[in-house]
Amino acid sequence: MTAMTNDPITLEIIQNSLQSAADEMFAAMKKTAMSSIIYEVLDMGTGITDAKGEIACSGAGIPAFVGVLDKAVTVIVEKFCEPGAVEPGDVFVTNDPYYGGVTHLNDIVVVMPVFAEDRIIAWTANIAHNSDVGGMAPGSLTGEATEIFQEGLRLPAVKMIARGEPIQPVLEIIKVNSRMPDVLEGDVWAAIASVRIGTARLAEIAEKYGAATFEQAMTSFMDYGERVSRAALKTLPKGTFTLAEEQDDGQVFNVTITIADDEFLVDLRDNPDQATNPVNTSRDGVMVAAQMIFKSLTDPYSPCNAGSFRPIRLLTREGSVFHAKEPAPIGFYYEIDLRVYDVMWRCLAQHMPERLAAGHFASVCGTFIGGIHPDTGRQYTIIEPQLGGWGGREGMDGNTAMFCGFHGETFNCPAEVNEARNGLYVDQMALNVEPGGEGEFTGGRGIVMDYRVRADDGFLTMGYTRSKYPAWPLDGGNEGSPNYVDFIPREGERQRLAFVSGLKTRRDDVIRVVTGNGGGFGDPKKRDPARVRRDVRNGLISAERAQEVYGVTIE
Amino acid sequence: MTKTIRVATDVGGTFTDLLVLESDDANGTSIVRSAKADTTPGGYEEGVFDVMAKGGVAADAVDFLAHGTTVVINALTERTGVKVGLITTQGFRDTLEIARGNRPDFFNLHYQKPEPFVRRSLRRELPGRMDYHGREMQPLDLSPLPDIVADFRAEGVEAVAVCFIHAYANPAHEQAALAELERLWPEVSAISSHQITREWREYERTSTAVLSAYVQPVAERYLQRLDAGLVERDFGGGLYIMQSNCGVDSVDTVSRIPITMVESGPASGVWGAAELGRLIGEPNVLALDIGGTTAKCSLIEDARVRIKTDYWIGRSRATAGYPIMVPVVDLVEIGNGGGSIAWVDDFGKLRVGPRSAGAMPGPAAYGRGGTEATTTDANLWLGRINRDYFCGGAVEADMDAVQKAIEAVGARLGVDADEAARGIVRIANNNMVNALKLVSVNRGFDPRDFTLIAFGGGGAMHAVALAQELGVTKVVVPADASVFSAWGMMMSDLRRDDVVTLLVDLDADHAEAIEAAFAETETRARDRFASEGVDAGAVRLSRFGRFRYQNQEHTTEVPLGADPVTAERVAASEAAFHETYEREYTYRLDAPVEMVGLHVVATVDIGKLSMTARQATGRGLEDARKGTRRVDYALEGIREAAIYDGERLEPGMAFDGPAIVEDSGTTVVVHPGNHAEMDGYGNIRIHIRN
Repeated sequence: MTAMTNDPITLEIIQNSLQSAADEMFAAMKKTAMSSIIYEVLDMGTGITDAKGEIACSGAGIPAFVGVLDKAVTVIVEKFCEPGAVEPGDVFVTNDPYYGGVTHLNDIVVVMPVFAEDRIIAWTANIAHNSDVGGMAPGSLTGEATEIFQEGLRLPAVKMIARGEPIQPVLEIIKVNSRMPDVLEGDVWAAIASVRIGTARLAEIAEKYGAATFEQAMTSFMDYGERVSRAALKTLPKGTFTLAEEQDDGQVFNVTITIADDEFLVDLRDNPDQATNPVNTSRDGVMVAAQMIFKSLTDPYSPCNAGSFRPIRLLTREGSVFHAKEPAPIGFYYEIDLRVYDVMWRCLAQHMPERLAAGHFASVCGTFIGGIHPDTGRQYTIIEPQLGGWGGREGMDGNTAMFCGFHGETFNCPAEVNEARNGLYVDQMALNVEPGGEGEFTGGRGIVMDYRVRADDGFLTMGYTRSKYPAWPLDGGNEGSPNYVDFIPREGERQRLAFVSGLKTRRDDVIRVVTGNGGGFGDPKKRDPARVRRDVRNGLISAERAQEVYGVTIE
Repeated sequence: MTKTIRVATDVGGTFTDLLVLESDDANGTSIVRSAKADTTPGGYEEGVFDVMAKGGVAADAVDFLAHGTTVVINALTERTGVKVGLITTQGFRDTLEIARGNRPDFFNLHYQKPEPFVRRSLRRELPGRMDYHGREMQPLDLSPLPDIVADFRAEGVEAVAVCFIHAYANPAHEQAALAELERLWPEVSAISSHQITREWREYERTSTAVLSAYVQPVAERYLQRLDAGLVERDFGGGLYIMQSNCGVDSVDTVSRIPITMVESGPASGVWGAAELGRLIGEPNVLALDIGGTTAKCSLIEDARVRIKTDYWIGRSRATAGYPIMVPVVDLVEIGNGGGSIAWVDDFGKLRVGPRSAGAMPGPAAYGRGGTEATTTDANLWLGRINRDYFCGGAVEADMDAVQKAIEAVGARLGVDADEAARGIVRIANNNMVNALKLVSVNRGFDPRDFTLIAFGGGGAMHAVALAQELGVTKVVVPADASVFSAWGMMMSDLRRDDVVTLLVDLDADHAEAIEAAFAETETRARDRFASEGVDAGAVRLSRFGRFRYQNQEHTTEVPLGADPVTAERVAASEAAFHETYEREYTYRLDAPVEMVGLHVVATVDIGKLSMTARQATGRGLEDARKGTRRVDYALEGIREAAIYDGERLEPGMAFDGPAIVEDSGTTVVVHPGNHAEMDGYGNIRIHIRN
């Protein structure tokens, strides 16, 4: 069957099948990965693009990975454009933001073509955070890096499997560069399995309905995405909105957003030059942040594909922190992308509080803890984001203890699993009851978690933003509370940390992770006294503070 | 003549179903009866007694009564359980509220995290700590307990859940706290996590204990009323309650931990499919149950149902839900049933479900004011359902309302009513095909190796189309398909699944430890049955291992033989894991394998029915033929189909599609090119020539 059908039901059925293929790829990766950051944190995503590399559909754990894969595919499509350069069964790999990787070197993107009727009709792709890809520090992420070369092995969009046969030298190079070679190998194979499953599924669909119909289904799906976005864009308040915000490190970030009937223009040109430390991002990374806020503002529920993002236009300045040039280090790119996301959110929230809540703790709070497990003698490395408080909004208190806006279907690590797998004890995992985030509708609570290290010669690396300037409030609420680590060594001085690389840890040192409460919404004096009394009863706020902030007397 | 009377009653959302099987012990033949009565919320047992009366069942004559109820899931979803207090390890009272921090609906910035079932002031802590090996790090301090109990009493707490860190590895602290709690407050309903599950992950275990406590008094009271009502009616047989793991259990056991009933409804249907598959020599089955609001499917391999312990209630793409770590049959449920509403979104895309017309107003065809087209309306419009024999003739189909509803969908799509109805059926089928793929293809199984057993009110209407799409060549529509779940209940064994976390390397050095853990779990299972008077010889045990490659998280379950685990036999288990893993994930690794848990299934046959094939009386096929009508098969066009009366079909009768088989509860759609045959058990076997 090769004739193209335009039957809307058939197209709809193919589109549904695309989603189930992306979900299937996601399930396969999640279940077979070896790094907890993949299988628990779900720092991974899967996607299907058309032949040109435009994203048609994603199976994602986190929104920040929805719009990433098309960029990698596009680079591969351009690089392997000679006839015969791409063959059935080939698998490509990239992890370099200067070669379509978007994020940082830990995130390995695996891409596979889908052939039907002797042509490429689609690509399947997978991205996941790998625990260690070499570089100057364990876990590959370090604040000390001044060039990308120090952040691990660079894979500049190369072929890894040819016609189904692994190119052993490439796989060996990848493996030998990691401090955790077996884990890396397992995770890369999990990614390969994932794209293979997706490719097989798409090929079946194309065989059944014909390549032309399959392609038509993809095109019409993206057009549908565009129509949904454009319709929603029309309902947004129009105008030019700007915000300048000082960051924890003293830099000022500027954003200007112009919303018109047919365009969502984000101008980030007026921003600092790229840094010598790894707090830069690729332009692609900033685009993902813009896509996320746009999608949330327009239609968070409908399918998300290249069409959904067509109304976005992004202006950046090459050589700036938001459009880094090779060889700038980019390890902590995610905090920078998150800062941009948060700045855009804040810029618009004041003008559309019914659509956007007050600020949340807004940091991945990436925490890296490693050492030797005293029970097994094996090296362990924890790489995890943290939960924190979300902002209040009209009519509703903010959510408590959720991952930040860049995450989604991400799961924290249970203490029981953590203690078995890693050489430490979790002494507490509790809500953060520090002041902050009060309002008519309060910010949600962050958390306090104590890791007690069980053996000497371990390390801690972490980088949290919103450590100096906490989550911002809206409409007269109070600001939230900061993100930080309280390092409590058995001997020596307690330290409050926002960024640290390779801090040595010893037995019985306590690493206390504290994440912020979200920003409050509305004047605290307007809060329903029944809610205040409930908060006091639940030990979230003292009676004295209830009196002081809310003016509610507790009997 | 000695007779054995077996009865199954199934309390559903709208109706309470009854199935009676009266079998002649001498020749094995049996008479089947079924009845329906309204479900009676507030006192579900009344509906049970009503339906027994309606079905002409005298309680004193019944030998075996199997009972399924939604009392637990209703209490959870409607939040009608009791006020619970939680006692947990110092430092962890917020675990229940922190949950796992995930946000499935991730572009929605107005997402609302599910509220914890116990508010913070009722979540209390005790000092005392185990490590993950189950070794005590800090002794349990019970001294704060009297104050906690006093607070709980003052707050009107009715049930207490206890969950301590690493209690799956060593329950001693939970046992001590529970004993002290019972001493201090004997009348309170109390449960601790290790009594329900011996698996790790503290949030899931805490949630399980809390939800169990939440429904315990409600379910226990219900079961007591049911039991008492039956005793009043001189019932002297065995009463068994359907569980989520496809088995039944005694009233006493279920009353202690009723949370295990949470998914019992779907489980009985899946079990029925497994049993039917065994009976007719089809061990590999895709079970499909299409009801009014949802379709459920499950995969049965080698006559074994798949049991999982990572069940979540209320979880969807839009919300995180709540975990319940009990053995639940592995199934996928989607919002696609006969009453699912077809709608066209703002951009011209046709969707079916998940919203349902429910019982009120129901599909447009019911003529009760429903104006939105449902799958049932589309099936009527296309001639699949007989408009003159709707609901077995009990309801006059309001075809004007159907036409209006379907034309409205068509108008939004820019097509006529026929095209719209075909579209509705095709989209509904596609939703169900994707669900069937989730349980088969997504888990590494090829659906072509399976037989599709379709039941529930709508199963037979869609089964062939789904099978054709999946490449399945054999479809079976069981006798009394609309009450098939009740039959499954009657075929169930007493069954208990024990899943225990055990983290060891899978190698010869650890064979002894693994065997010891299996033996301990099996002894516990046998002892529990023995304490209930079940003969040790009657208990059948089977073993499963949960394995993974070192450093992975998720496990793959592999059946192990009954022989003890020895250093020599470990290699065979490892090989079985590699093989299962590769089938599911397309590759294998040369990496060390870990055992993460064991799963022991203990079953006891409680004298379930043995089926005997019926003989034909010699009537001809023409006897069953009601005539012909035009049926729209969507992809295969409009055809003149032969119509058969299902109640008059006899063993051995065979015919080719296009055809429709109708009885009072079911419509079987046989597509052009299919060959259908009635077997000795009243099942219609449809062969698809692909």
